[in-house]
Amino acid sequence: MFNSFSFNNPQYLWLLLSIPLLILWYIFFNKKRKTPVTYSQIEAFGSSKSWRIKLRNLPDLLRLLIIILLILAIARPQSYWSYSESDKEGIDIILAMDISSSMLAEDFKPNRLEAAKAVAKDFVEKRTDDNIGIVAFSGESYTQCPPTLDHSVVKELLSKLNTGQINDGTAIGDGLATAINRIKDSKTKSKVVILLTDGMNNLGSIDPLMAAEIAKKFNIRVYTIGVGNNSLAPFPYETPFGRQYQYVEVRIDEKLLTEMAHETGGKYFRSTNKASLKTIFSDIDKMEKSVVDTQVFQQKTELGLFIILIILVLFVVEELLRKTLFNTKP
Amino acid sequence: MNDLLKKVRKIEIKTKKLSHNIFAGQYHSAFKGKGMAFSEVREYNYGDEIRSIDWNVTARFNHPYVKIFEEEREMTVVLIIDISGSTFFGTNKVLKSEIITEIAAVLSFSAIANNDKVGVIFFSDKVEKYIPPKKGSAHILRIIRELLMYSDINATEQSEIQKGTSFSEPLKYFSSVIKKRATCFFITDSFGKFDDSSLRITARKHDLSVITVRDKREYTLPKIGLMQLKDAESDKTLWIDTNNSKQMKAFAEFRRKQDEETEMQLKRLGIDNVTLQTNDDYIKSLMKLFSSKN
Repeated sequence: MFNSFSFNNPQYLWLLLSIPLLILWYIFFNKKRKTPVTYSQIEAFGSSKSWRIKLRNLPDLLRLLIIILLILAIARPQSYWSYSESDKEGIDIILAMDISSSMLAEDFKPNRLEAAKAVAKDFVEKRTDDNIGIVAFSGESYTQCPPTLDHSVVKELLSKLNTGQINDGTAIGDGLATAINRIKDSKTKSKVVILLTDGMNNLGSIDPLMAAEIAKKFNIRVYTIGVGNNSLAPFPYETPFGRQYQYVEVRIDEKLLTEMAHETGGKYFRSTNKASLKTIFSDIDKMEKSVVDTQVFQQKTELGLFIILIILVLFVVEELLRKTLFNTKP
Repeated sequence: MNDLLKKVRKIEIKTKKLSHNIFAGQYHSAFKGKGMAFSEVREYNYGDEIRSIDWNVTARFNHPYVKIFEEEREMTVVLIIDISGSTFFGTNKVLKSEIITEIAAVLSFSAIANNDKVGVIFFSDKVEKYIPPKKGSAHILRIIRELLMYSDINATEQSEIQKGTSFSEPLKYFSSVIKKRATCFFITDSFGKFDDSSLRITARKHDLSVITVRDKREYTLPKIGLMQLKDAESDKTLWIDTNNSKQMKAFAEFRRKQDEETEMQLKRLGIDNVTLQTNDDYIKSLMKLFSSKN
C-alpha cells in the first residue's frame, strides 16, 4: 500500500506555460494601464515607504497563485493509494515423524531426529498460510499437534518430540493412517502428508500400502523421505563404561516408500545428510505452491475539490486585501 | 473656438458685474496713481490752503483763485500669471488654473473700468507670453482669450509650454520690460521659490501683491488607501499611503513649513499677499487684499 499522486488530464498542465507570459504582460502592460493621479507637488510626501506600499503587489501575486491553482485543478489531480490483496489459499500439511530409537543414529548431526526437527522447523516457518500438524510414530503412533495455523505452537511441539515416549519399532502404516485421520475431512484444496522415516515397516496393524490407498481416496498426497546414509550408521548405546557406538547397517524399505509416494501422487526422497534433507524440504515447499490470487485495488481521491476550496479562500482573502489593506485608488 | 467665445462672454459678464458692483470703490481708492495732475482753478473759498493759490490767475482777475489737483488715474496694471503644470490640479469642481484665470479676469475688468492699462506676463519656468499694457475693451478681450487658452489643459499639453516653475524669471523680465511704476499682481499656486534679490528689486519699484491659489487637497488627503501620484511638473510617479499617519503628518508638516517660509519672506520685504483655496470665494480674498492696502 502506498500513497501516490497523479493528474488525470495532464495535458492541461501545458496551460502553466502561459504563466510567464502573464507575468510579462503584468509587468509591461498592466502597470501602464493604471494611470496615476496627477498631483501638483509630490515632493511634499517625501520618499518614505510604508509596508503597505512595499507589499502593494501582494493581491496580484495571490491572483497569480489562484490562476496556477486553477490550472492544476483543471488537470484533475488525484491521490490514490493502491494495495494488493493476495488471497492465498492454504493447504493442510501433516508432518509424520519417525521417533523410533534408530533416529538417534548419528550419521546426521547431532542425530537424525534433531536434524529432522531443525529442518522441519524451517519448513514450518516458510509455510505461513498452511495448516500444519505433527504426527509421531514408532511402534505406535499419536498426534503430537493437530493441524493449525498457530505455527509457534507447531514449532514448540515439534521441538518436544523425542524418542522412547512410545513403544519402539517402525509402524509406517499406523503413522500414515493417523496423519490421514487428521486431515481427511478438511475442506482445503490440497492435503499433504510428509512422512519421514529411517527404517523398514516392522510393526503396526495397518499395512503401509493400504494406508497409502486410503490416502489416495481422500486425495492426500504423501511425500516420503528416507533418512540415513548409504552404508553404516553410528548408533549410540549406553554401557557401564560410557557411551559406545555400534555401527549398524542402514536399511530403508525404499521400494515401499517409493510405491506409497507414487500411489498417492507424491514423491519419494532419499536424504543422506542434513543438507540434502533441507533441499528435500525446500523441493516439497516448491511443489506445494499455494494458490495465490492477487488483486490490486486502487482507491482514488479527487483533490480538485480541495484545491477549489483553497482557491475560494485565496480569492476571498485577495478581495478583502484589495478592499481593505491594499485599497488602491484610482 | 465657439466654446471659448461663450466662456469669454460668460466671464466678461460675471466679472464685469463683480468689478462694477463690489469692487468699484475699493479698487479706485486702493490703488493711487503716481503723483497729482492739475485739473482746474476755482475761486478761493474760506478755509482753502493759501499754498494752493494760483498767483498768475489771481493777478489777472484781481481775485484769489486756487488750483485744484486730482490724483493721476492712469495706472498700469500687470498680471504675472503662473501657467506651470502644477496649476492644472483641482479637486473641487474647478482647477486652480481656472480660478487663476477668473481672478485675472476680474482684475483686468476692474482695471479697464478705471481706465487703467492692463498687461499680462504668462510664465512657467520661463516667460511664455507677454502682452504689453494697453487700454480698451478690445484689448481686454484679447487678454481674456489668452487667459482661457492658457488655462485649458488640453491646449497647453499640445503646445510647447514648459511644465516647471520659476519665480525669478518672470520678475526679472517684468522689471526689464515695464519701466514706469506699475501695480503688479503675481498670481501663482506658490510651488516655487522667490529669490530675495529679484523680489526686492521689483517690490522697490512697483506695487507688488502675491495671490496664492491652492487646493484643499494640497493640505490634507482623505484616507482612501494606496494611491499612485504623478507629479504635474516633473512627471515622476510615487506611491503614497494615505492611511499611513506618519507619511500624512510629514506631508502636512512639509506644506506648513513651505507656506511659512514664503509668508515670512514676503512679510520681510513688505509685499502684500493673500492665500486662497479653490473652494473659497475669491472675491472675498481679493477684498481682503485691497483692504490691507489702505
